[in-house]
Amino acid sequence: MIQRGRGKAFAVTTLVAALSMAGMANAGVTDQDILNDQMTTDDVVSNGLGPKGQRFSPLKAVNTDTVKDLRPVWSFSFGGEKQRGQESQPMVKDGVMYVTASYSRVFAIDVKTGDELWEYNARLPDGIMPCCDVINRGVALYDDLVLFATLDAKLIALDSKTGKVVWKKKVADYKAGYSITAAPLVVNGKVITGVSGGEFGIVGKVEAYDAKTGQILWSRPTVEGHMGYIWKEGKKVENGISGGKPGQTWPGDLWKTGGAATWLGGTYDPDVNLLFFGTGNPAPWNSHLRPGDNLFSSSRLAIDPDTGKIVWHFQTTPNDGWDFDGVNELVSFDYKDGGKTIKAAGTADRNGFFYVLNRENGEFIRGFPFVDEISWAKGLDKNGRPIYVDDNRPGNPADVDGNKGKPVVAIPSFLGGKNWMPVSYSKQTGLFYVPSNEWAMDIWNEPVSYKKGAAYLGAGFTIKPLNDEYIGVLRAIDPKTGKEKWRYKNYAPLWGGVLSTAGKLVFMGNPEGYLMAFDAETGELKYKFNTGSGIVGSPITWEMDGEQYISVVSGWGGAVPLWGGEVAKRVKHLNQGGSVWTFKLPKEDA
Amino acid sequence: MKRCKLFAAFLVACLVFAGQAQARYYDDVIASGTLRIGVYRDFPPYSFLRDGQPAGVDIEIGRRIAESLGVSLDVHWITPDENLEDDLRNNVWKGHYLDKDPQNSLAPKNLADVMMRVPYDRQYAFKRESTGELVNEMVVLFGPYQRESWRVAFDSRKIDQVSTVAVFQYHPVGVEIDSLPAFYLTSAFAGRMRDNTHHFSNLPAAFEAMRRGEVDAVMGMRAEVDWQLHRAGDGRYRVGENGFPMMGKQKWDIGMAVKHSYRQLGYAVEEVVDRLVRSGQMAEIYRQYGLTYEKPGLYQETL
Repeated sequence: MIQRGRGKAFAVTTLVAALSMAGMANAGVTDQDILNDQMTTDDVVSNGLGPKGQRFSPLKAVNTDTVKDLRPVWSFSFGGEKQRGQESQPMVKDGVMYVTASYSRVFAIDVKTGDELWEYNARLPDGIMPCCDVINRGVALYDDLVLFATLDAKLIALDSKTGKVVWKKKVADYKAGYSITAAPLVVNGKVITGVSGGEFGIVGKVEAYDAKTGQILWSRPTVEGHMGYIWKEGKKVENGISGGKPGQTWPGDLWKTGGAATWLGGTYDPDVNLLFFGTGNPAPWNSHLRPGDNLFSSSRLAIDPDTGKIVWHFQTTPNDGWDFDGVNELVSFDYKDGGKTIKAAGTADRNGFFYVLNRENGEFIRGFPFVDEISWAKGLDKNGRPIYVDDNRPGNPADVDGNKGKPVVAIPSFLGGKNWMPVSYSKQTGLFYVPSNEWAMDIWNEPVSYKKGAAYLGAGFTIKPLNDEYIGVLRAIDPKTGKEKWRYKNYAPLWGGVLSTAGKLVFMGNPEGYLMAFDAETGELKYKFNTGSGIVGSPITWEMDGEQYISVVSGWGGAVPLWGGEVAKRVKHLNQGGSVWTFKLPKEDA
Repeated sequence: MKRCKLFAAFLVACLVFAGQAQARYYDDVIASGTLRIGVYRDFPPYSFLRDGQPAGVDIEIGRRIAESLGVSLDVHWITPDENLEDDLRNNVWKGHYLDKDPQNSLAPKNLADVMMRVPYDRQYAFKRESTGELVNEMVVLFGPYQRESWRVAFDSRKIDQVSTVAVFQYHPVGVEIDSLPAFYLTSAFAGRMRDNTHHFSNLPAAFEAMRRGEVDAVMGMRAEVDWQLHRAGDGRYRVGENGFPMMGKQKWDIGMAVKHSYRQLGYAVEEVVDRLVRSGQMAEIYRQYGLTYEKPGLYQETL
């Protein structure tokens, strides 16, 4: 089956054929395949359609004129009762799609027919309590291996033909509160992963393993004060303390349990040879307990993929008190400024600001709000540091004294101006397409709260929509000016990724279940199709036998339905699911 | 043909329901001959394994309840989630979302008939969401059996006495991470005790650090601290006489929970526990573990 797929693809274009030859007949995915992923249209072998994470495809058979004729060719069900949110991005190689589903499952599907080739169902330990729901965001491919991470924080390599385990490594201890839901990243033969974790005192890290053998190569903690390690000839060697030494931006011993989970994975740019990983909020949750910047929480880190050293960092929310995190993907792009090419990177943060950074050194170029309202900061200073509105910081537990603490109305809510769902950068329009949400939260210290038989001080909160008509807004944003070119409003919050193509289209799914296509210049809705359950995954496109295909995973869930309040009311009629939908144009139109 | 299949499926379903644990009606509990009592895992002195056997005050109370109902005790170990609402959902009324059997999707969830160590607090029981809905409407909280509070234990070779928490401006103190003592010591009095607050994954680990000399004191729940002192059996570790000024919740009562549809079971259990408290047997159970016993508010007012 795999052979057949390859044979047909071979006949399509000489460019593809040449690349295939370079990798030998029947070869697996190479480093070159991954680096060139954005330009090679016959496969999708990286999360983000290329390690830069631009989610842009040069394909244009499906375009603003033809997209109206797009129709499904097959739908594949993940089956069973394991639903709760499908946030995966499928991969396609040699006629086979590799896609993950919730509860740490992987499926290999024949892309011509939608038939299942194999399924891998990770056996999770009894009584496991993963911190961060049961979603999974996808696989990485390397050689003849399918790599993915599990809820019990293991990295697993499967044989791409059989789905059998080739190697398996424990990245962190699930009993200590670690989990992994992100897709791993492969760079020059190394598979690189972060970790998820709750409030149990975890410390975030980024680790590299030999993709073929699973041998660990380096480990880099993301909290100041923790020692990094590198393995030389199998020996674990100290590789420098993150941030130099403990206690500079943390009080007491809190750096030991500082959080900063790298739960969304990362991107890579070969031009500057750097990995870009975002880090989560600092622990404990309440910022009054930990005065200081709390590095490297809520930051973007640039890491040398060869050594695991932090080359630069940019912190979006120092002393984060709103759970804004800083995990959002950093997307590399170049632009011209007075004839000079700027090696930039763009990122839309949970905190509501969009940042353009110099990706060579992390310097702040510009930043601007990408949501309509931000309450917690008046703006950014010349270095990109937020100018805080002190009154808008959630209250100090010391002020509670038995009663409900003073509630604060903060915008955006902790689910963010943008959450995990990846943006797209179109090389054609030079615009970022940002799936965002307009919502606020009331937040207070909740003294009527218990944990493990003990009185506790929880954070009470409720998330509220800012508008009756919509929460979600897909925005086209010019990174050079901060201007919004167009917007599409969606009733439910947006929770899925975006894809842009040279067909002048932007694809995105919504929780109402529609896969939608917009004119990339005007935002005009050109196409929609209801997949039967909400879409919280990221669409892909590729070419096979001269035809352009589009695939997206459907299955409502993720973090939004887990929280109560007004927002839950808007989404509670949405049904769960779990399937992959694949579309193309009818043959006669092609 | 189709009929046969259906019948087979029905049979399987019946067999499955017969053998598995889910929260149940009083009559079903009595008929089955076992009572499933939910207790926290690895949580001395309340519930833990000692030489491979379930032990702890909550286990002892569970034994008395089962005995009185004429059934045997089946322990349902609870891995704690982030808060009590989660534990009640996962263990009393709904079940955990990972508790799924792909081979048998009709299998009932693994639930406790009765969950121990659930705070008995009217304000909590009737807490409402921002939308006006009750947060805990699926459970009934009942049967208070103990009053809990906070306590400090200190190493008397390092500190003369702990008459106020002010000493922790000068002496390191260990607490469980993400607990009220952790919040208190890092935020109260403008954070003056913050730099001396050391965080551990649980109270026994904090006590161990005190034995190693890393911290001079620990702060935790009274029974947890008492248990560590009892086990250490070493006069150098003593109990603080301090109060906890500005600390939100100083004392709270501990009771039990059943699913709201199984109130009859709750009444039967409550009767047993009430007898244990009134007869002094409850105090005796706590004494056996070397713990201070304080009656819940209800009994302090009526007895």
